[in-house]
Amino acid sequence: MSPPSKALAEFVAEATEILEALGKDLLVLDERRGQEADPDRVNGIFRAAHSLKGLAGLFGQERISRLAHGTEDLLDRLRLGKLHLNDAVLDTLIEALDAFQALLAETARGTETDGLTRRADGMAERLGRLGEVSVALDEDPLERLELDAQVRSVFTEYEEHRLRENVRKGVSMWRVRAAFDLSDFDMGLADLNTRLKPLGEVISTLPSAQPGGAHGIAFDLIFGTQVSLPELESGLKGTPAELARLAVRPATIRSAEALVRATESPAIVLGTLGVASAPEASTGTSPPSKRGVRAAVEGGTHQSLLPLASERSDTEQGETGASAHGVPGQESESDEEHVPSAKGPSLVTYLQGPGGRAPAATPPGAPHAGAGAASSALAEPSLRSLTQTVRVDIGKLDGLINMVGELLLIKASLQRLAESARQDGVVPLSKLFGQELARETRGLERKLEALQEGLLEARMVPVGQVFDKLARLVRRITREAGKEIDFVIGGGEVELDKLIVEELSDPLMHLIRNAIDHGVESPDMRLAAGKPRRAVVSLRAEQKGNHVVIQVSDDGAGIDELRVREVALTRGLITHAQAEEMGRRELLNLIFLPGFSTARSVSELSGRGVGLDVVKNNLGNLSGIIDVWSERGKGTAFHLTLPVTLAIIRALVVGVSARTYAVPLNSVLEILSVQPREIRTMERREVLDVRGQTLPFVRLSRLFGLPERPVSRYFVVVVGLAQERLGIAVDELHGQQDIVTKPLGGRLQSVRGISGATDLGNRRPVLVLDVAALLEEGLALERRRA
Amino acid sequence: MSRFAELLDDFFFRPDEDVSGLQDFAAGSDGVASAAPEEVPEEYLSFRLEGEAYAVPIRAVREISKVPPLTEIPRAEPHLLGVMNLRGELLPAYDIKVRLGLAERAPLVAGPDAPVPPRDARILVLRTETGPAGVWVDTVSGVVKLKPSMLEPPPPGLRRGDKDCVVGIGRRGPSLYILLDPEQALAP
Repeated sequence: MSPPSKALAEFVAEATEILEALGKDLLVLDERRGQEADPDRVNGIFRAAHSLKGLAGLFGQERISRLAHGTEDLLDRLRLGKLHLNDAVLDTLIEALDAFQALLAETARGTETDGLTRRADGMAERLGRLGEVSVALDEDPLERLELDAQVRSVFTEYEEHRLRENVRKGVSMWRVRAAFDLSDFDMGLADLNTRLKPLGEVISTLPSAQPGGAHGIAFDLIFGTQVSLPELESGLKGTPAELARLAVRPATIRSAEALVRATESPAIVLGTLGVASAPEASTGTSPPSKRGVRAAVEGGTHQSLLPLASERSDTEQGETGASAHGVPGQESESDEEHVPSAKGPSLVTYLQGPGGRAPAATPPGAPHAGAGAASSALAEPSLRSLTQTVRVDIGKLDGLINMVGELLLIKASLQRLAESARQDGVVPLSKLFGQELARETRGLERKLEALQEGLLEARMVPVGQVFDKLARLVRRITREAGKEIDFVIGGGEVELDKLIVEELSDPLMHLIRNAIDHGVESPDMRLAAGKPRRAVVSLRAEQKGNHVVIQVSDDGAGIDELRVREVALTRGLITHAQAEEMGRRELLNLIFLPGFSTARSVSELSGRGVGLDVVKNNLGNLSGIIDVWSERGKGTAFHLTLPVTLAIIRALVVGVSARTYAVPLNSVLEILSVQPREIRTMERREVLDVRGQTLPFVRLSRLFGLPERPVSRYFVVVVGLAQERLGIAVDELHGQQDIVTKPLGGRLQSVRGISGATDLGNRRPVLVLDVAALLEEGLALERRRA
Repeated sequence: MSRFAELLDDFFFRPDEDVSGLQDFAAGSDGVASAAPEEVPEEYLSFRLEGEAYAVPIRAVREISKVPPLTEIPRAEPHLLGVMNLRGELLPAYDIKVRLGLAERAPLVAGPDAPVPPRDARILVLRTETGPAGVWVDTVSGVVKLKPSMLEPPPPGLRRGDKDCVVGIGRRGPSLYILLDPEQALAP
């Protein structure tokens, strides 16, 4: 397959960004199932689909464009209130997102499979068919709003919908008139908007009917809020705003009844949420505005404080919030007429398996379920990004450019010095000259270090990037596994080198999958064991000095170390003698051996026995280690320790048998000089006595099968990770150096004990030792010999 | 052979000699190369290992480089000679002589005890499924065009080693080239 062209690569990069934002919003909507969907979010997703459609069309990506078109249509209907956001719709949207990811992956690879095309077209079709006509009220609430007809005619469909909703909920409507000077009206208007946002919803901004004077311009903002007038006034103090209330005629009896029926029905209505969450304001522009000056109102965050309008729906909300979910989504496809009546309450929110829902196996659901099964049968795509781009704060880049500027100054000074030395000819270099040169060189060193740090920083991305992708995956796995899980994420803002974050996605996926499949028990079993029905799976990142620790834990059944031992014995991974010697911790660590798996059924999701040793290997390539803690009945936790950055590391250059190797300094605890006679043997193991403690000891030459040279003394590099310590004997110490490590390519992955190579300047690559692997090997060796 | 016989030999062409050009000339074509439509010649890069002529499709060769300093890798597979730094890229360098039955063990080319590589030795950087990989060759002979009609399947006795790296024989005039499949030659 030919790699995509540059233009296509750009398309993939942009599309990935759009999908990421879309995924985030969908996730929030999903978490808040049962509650009213934030119109801002729905609008945000609508805009994302719209952009994606345009982008795909521009690049000739037919399949993506078609699917985006279908999604956009559905979302348009949603945001205009023509469709209710129920389970089926949400699920379909999430499936559509998966389909987009798959399509994009194929584009990035330059392939196009028929299977995926059919899946995408099938999805687009389903999106089109989804729809539930909303309850028709007898009287349009908008009629009751006393607003100039001229003004009303100017609204877009979306604005009308928002207006209608607000009136129906009984929110007070205001006209906020403000006049600004022509020179700075944009700032004034932005300021006014900022003040208004926390107080309610700005539905529309219109040029005012009354002019703002000769040098001014005035705007009317239609605003809905539930705060009292004094509060509103105090919030707007300092702005040139004038408030005028918009009267709303009381509803007639019939419309009131309809109103009551509407709030009683379990259909979810799009309304503003009472949750003060604040995603970054997207920079979307307002929907195509027909006329007049309009501010990009919809682009901001809504922080409305509206509780749900009627008390009745409040009490019902808690109970029936999900009862709407209780409606099998599939019904909506066949049931066009009226909203089905509420079913019994079902367990709510977050991630939920089918155990808590009404049975969803109805024939119209077949295409839905079929697609679901099909997607799980497809190979699980990797969570790695399709692009190799990093977003960098422009401030950081400016900082780097400044540093380069300073470097140029130093270069100029050095040039001057060189020039003066050349011109003075045979005149011996004066001491002054030497001092000046030394000073410039020191300055150069400082600036280069700062530049290096700055560039490394630019490569850092927050781990949250990968965590968010995992959250979506967890939702799907949980559903498929029939469990009930609360997925908790913490420390997403911790930053790691982009390369490391990318490499982490697959190992983390493995671990989480294992946790959900095998760690967490089914809801009934948990109840029987006296545990809460919903399990907690948590993913946390924490920075500890030069390292980052990521913890994947669950409060499930824990790992049964006796069964681990049994399996290891059966598969011949350890002998009985060894098994006797092993402590609990060592037994648990057996799960990282290749070919180990205690899963009874080999589901396609996991349990193939390839999981944990691959995870460990992948982590080793990143100079990271993995540790496991578990207690039967209580839960399991995996700790991954990773260096913050791989790109440039400080290394100790050592010599063994006339070969040169580099040891990452961050794993080195100390260096000792040892005479051969100081090496003791204890139970046939070589050890050293260091300050009263026994240190296990290996000779690197022996470990690597290199010819041993007799030396008068060894240098012992003591390395340690977590609790373990090991002394590695080398012949020479060549010093310390900052090196750029390159990972060994695909073919060289299997080499043990080596994590990469670097160039020390004489063109011959120097291998970088994988301390974690050596540590383990050295210790295992000792154990086996004993 | 007597001098006269030699001359006669040169004068008359042998059955296996490539004389398509001559035939065209005789048939009175107007100089346009009249290869039959399916007879598009493929280019191969030919090189020598222990004096024997081998060839791989030129598309599989990314570049040819002089032998750079190689770093040996401890506890690696015996046919992995070492790793090299090619303009910042780390590439493995392999030996295929053992696999082809031309040598008992891989040559010592890396590490402190290794001799200076011979002047003509080169590293062929080949494109493979798992990324680029270098192969040690004794000397590179050049590019040779082989038409499909010049290709033959490998004779059964020629299968040396346990991998099917030999995919055929190319015959061009008096020269014989053993055609290799890079993927198989470098398979672990």
